[in-house]
Parts: sequence; C-alpha cells; structure tokens
Amino acid sequence: MSALELWNEIHLELLAAALASIKLALGALTIGLVLGLFLALARLSGKGWLWRATGIYIEIFRGTPALMQLFIIYFGLAAIGITFSSLQAAIIGLGLNASAYLSEVFRAGIQAVPKGQTEAALAIGMTRTQVMVWIVLPQAVRVMLAPAGNIAISLLKDTSVASLIAAPDLMLRAQDLSSQYFQPLEIYLIVGAMYFVLCFPLSLLVRAVEPDR
Amino acid sequence: MTDLFTWLPRGDLLGNILSTLLLGAGTTLMLTAASFVVALTLGFVLALMRRSPWLPLSAIARIYLEIFRNIPILTQLFILYFGLARLGITLPATVAAVLGFGLNGAAILSEVFRASINAVDRGQNEAALAIGMTPVRSFWSIILPQAFPIAIPSVGNFLVGLLKDTSLASAAAVPELAFRARMLVSETYLTSEIYLTVALIYLFLSLPIAHLAKRAERRSLPQRAA
Repeated sequence: MSALELWNEIHLELLAAALASIKLALGALTIGLVLGLFLALARLSGKGWLWRATGIYIEIFRGTPALMQLFIIYFGLAAIGITFSSLQAAIIGLGLNASAYLSEVFRAGIQAVPKGQTEAALAIGMTRTQVMVWIVLPQAVRVMLAPAGNIAISLLKDTSVASLIAAPDLMLRAQDLSSQYFQPLEIYLIVGAMYFVLCFPLSLLVRAVEPDR
Repeated sequence: MTDLFTWLPRGDLLGNILSTLLLGAGTTLMLTAASFVVALTLGFVLALMRRSPWLPLSAIARIYLEIFRNIPILTQLFILYFGLARLGITLPATVAAVLGFGLNGAAILSEVFRASINAVDRGQNEAALAIGMTPVRSFWSIILPQAFPIAIPSVGNFLVGLLKDTSLASAAAVPELAFRARMLVSETYLTSEIYLTVALIYLFLSLPIAHLAKRAERRSLPQRAA
C-alpha cells in the first residue's frame, strides 16, 4: 500500500488520536500551570522550610525521566492499591512533571519584576495578595510567555511517552496501526509529520513573543 | 556480566536486583556518552552551517533544526528502529538509539552553539580582523574560546535531558536502566520498589550534572554583567 493509500485509510483514526494527544497535553498543562504557580509562590514565600520542600520537589521531577514518573504513578501506585486509568496517570504524571519546570519559569518571571513595584504597591496600602495578583504577576507574564510556551511544546511532544503506559494518544495509535498494517516506516513518518504540524506553528508563535531578539 | 558486581550480596533477590540495575545504569551512561559525542560533533557542524553565507547550507541546517525540534524523540526513535527495518536497514537497537538521540541532540546543541557564538561581543571579531587575522583565524582562536564558557550551562542542561531521554530506548529493547527495570518488575512484581529505586539512580546520575551546570551559570553571570 502506498503512503497515500495508507493515509486515506487511516487518517480519521490518526486525527482522532491527535485530538486525544492535544487533550492530554491540555489537561497536563492545566495541572502544570496551577501547581507550578503555587510552587513558585511557595518558593518565594520567604519561609525556609517551604523553600526547601519545593526545591526538593523540583529537583526530583526534573532529575528523573518522565517515563519513570509515569511508571511509578501507573504501575507503582497500582501495586499498593491506588489505581488510575492510563489516561489519568498520564495527565497527572505529565502535569506534575510540567509543574516543576513551570514553577522555575514563574519564579524567574516574578523575580524579574523590580522590587520597587512591590514596595510602591505596599506603600499605597495594598495587601500582599493584591500586590501579587494586580501588580507583580501581570508584569511577570511578559517575561514568562516564551519559556512557558517552550515548556508547553515539550509537553505536547512528551505526550508520546504516555503511549508507553498505553494511554490513548497519537503514538499509541501509531503502534497499533503499524502492527495492523505492517508499514511502520510510513505510519511513523506520517505521525511524525502530524506532530510537526502541531508543534511548528507553536514554535513560531513562541519565537514571536520572545522579548529580546 | 553479573560477575562484575561480586561485592554485592549474591544469591539473594536484593543482590540480583541491584546488580542488574547497576548493569543497566552502566548501559545508560554509555548510551548517553555515545549519543552526546554524536550530538556535539554534528551540532557543531550544523552551527557552522548556520553561519555560512551560502544560503542553501544555512537553510539545510535551519530545516534540520525545525524538523528534529518539533517531532517527539520517541517518534524519531521508532522511525529509525522499526521504520527503517522495513526498508531492510536493520540497525541494532543500541545503534538506532545512539543515532536517534545523537541526531536529535545535534539540533538542540546547534542552537546552543549558535547562540553562544552570537553572544561573544562583536568588537572581539572586529579587533582581531583589525590586527590582521583572517576571519577563519579570528573565529577559531578569538570567538570560539570565548563562546565555549557561555555554552557550558546550556550544554549541561542538555546532557541532563539526554540522560533522562535515554530511558525511552527501553521501548526499542535497549538493555539500559529503564528496560532492565521493566524486565525485573515482570519477574519479581516488586513494582513500586524497583521503579522508585530506578528513579533514585537517575536522580543520583543527573543531579551532579545539573549542579555543575548551575554553578557554571552562576560563575558566568557577573562576567556578562560587567
């Protein structure tokens, strides 16, 4: 079967699987953004034990492969009675992983806002929370946008790793189809092209919002 | 091969598990080192190509970068390992993995090298040319030595990423750490114990590199500010 005939036969399945990958990435990104922001705030709270605890969390998740994290959450926790579906485990695992990277982006972004901004806002009577929400974070977003975008692209690519715990994504469907049609080269090239079509525009977007270039 | 670890308690389950995992960690390190060499070499060539005034050459390097950067490494590995096999090109799993991680890493490192070279003050090149150096001589003996320390933190971060990514080679049955762990789990059912131990081993391997990269970064900061 030529690559074109193959595409005609399997493209609906592949597109549905690509959509599943996008949903998986968005789910994990949501966890990563929310948890990452809290981690960054905890890290900057000025409390020594919070700084250390978040530091350890970040080192662990950045120092071990995402694959091992997924294995521990999916297979490891199941062995001690905590069972997730492979999709749930993938969203949680990739989300926790992304939160470690995103928290460092948030921390750097928040620290890049000049101290005088906080001092001035406190001086006119704002509370610490108000200062963070209305003064610091809006200014920090500009600095965070490009690195956070790069992490989001990595996350979208990393959803392919979830196929190794059989989470329903594009790469898992590719493995199924290639054992069904015996045309792994064509199928993986098509799937590679699909990932490229998803990620390349995002890369261009990130480069457009990069501050100094 | 397990004879290498005679100092471990032998004959019992724990000793077997630990020696198998250490064996896997050795393969992981060798896989990482070999891929790193490929990535460094090809990455440098690509960075040079990007600087070429001849458009086709820099365009090829640019297209290479975008393709490898925007496709998951797992997909690239599967194309090399399962895909090429269908064309009759059967690469041993380890070779396919080194090639895959090397080609992918080259794209990342070419960007690192390009940015580091560009970060060297332009006056350095101008001064070198003014005292009569050729552009080639200026590049090799003035620009590159100064670009090198700038690149170190990013190269360190890349190396940590590479070390972790080699775990994906387990999907192509390369007998590295993650693969050995999967085999051990299917034999012993000590699932959480083994995967946690393996995570610790990865942490133990990656933290020193991350730490060195961070230290290099801090050392280079005041320099850049001055």
